[in-house]
Amino acid sequence: MMIPVRCFTCGNVVGEHWDEFKARAREGDEDPGEVLDDLGVDRHCCRRMMVSHTDLVDVVSPYQ
Amino acid sequence: MSEADFDVQYIERDDRSARVLIRGLSPAFANGIRRAMIADVPTFSIDTVRFVENSSVMFDEMLGLRLGLVPLTTPIDDFEIGDEVTLALDVAGPGTAYSGDLVSSEPLVEPADKNVPLIELKEGQRVELEADAVLDTGKEHAKHQGGVSVGYRHLQRVTVEGDLGEFDEEETRILRGVIETEDGEIVPTEAFDHDLSERYPGKEVSVEDVPGAFVFHVETDGSVDVEELIVRAIGTIEERADELRTTIAV
Repeated sequence: MMIPVRCFTCGNVVGEHWDEFKARAREGDEDPGEVLDDLGVDRHCCRRMMVSHTDLVDVVSPYQ
Repeated sequence: MSEADFDVQYIERDDRSARVLIRGLSPAFANGIRRAMIADVPTFSIDTVRFVENSSVMFDEMLGLRLGLVPLTTPIDDFEIGDEVTLALDVAGPGTAYSGDLVSSEPLVEPADKNVPLIELKEGQRVELEADAVLDTGKEHAKHQGGVSVGYRHLQRVTVEGDLGEFDEEETRILRGVIETEDGEIVPTEAFDHDLSERYPGKEVSVEDVPGAFVFHVETDGSVDVEELIVRAIGTIEERADELRTTIAV
């Protein structure tokens, strides 16, 4: 639905980087790995939170 | 008390993350500090939420969980465990409610990260709520943990044993952490791509743990800074030891 606030595994706050990650790697054409390096999301547990996330608010909102 | 001879050296240092080399620790004490950093240093976290209006796509409970995970800055000196601070959020769509939209009744306690999306709101949707943040420890709930991925490794001493044989194959030797060279230089393994054969080409080296020397990796979620987290953690151990002493003396 929304990006989780924290990494499930280590508890690092990943939510704060989502907007920039989305703008640069999803909507932009930068390499996701390089964007995450740049944002300081180093551990692979936190990186998968960002890489594997899908925003579903647009999908559910018609049924609310 | 034994006359412990501690030596502390910062290898990397930032507001929110650091690597600290501490000498003179026993393994048990090192682990005690690690556990205290995770479970015993209190931080503020939202615990109770009163919804005035929530017409977003998420249930109240889901939003409550997300609010609880937002780190709040915690000046520990000014508060005691159990103290409460009220925050409020009032956002109407279209737009996204961010952690930075939380308005705190206490300027010292505010979201440490302003950019965490809480909920995306469509046209006509609105969230209005009042939340109580409470000061408590990581023992009570993981959302109160100040330390994130706190851990330690032994400091490792690398000794050059001699040259490799003339026809020996040079193999990569991967090592992670922080090493101490023979001249006493402290080098994080990132400096040579975690590969000892890169730093000592053509040499035969041996690696051993330095007794009593631990390299702590400390990261915080922003509620307290690294140095305060370490000092507070040691303080909680001291408090408990004091308590035990007075109890025994009585």
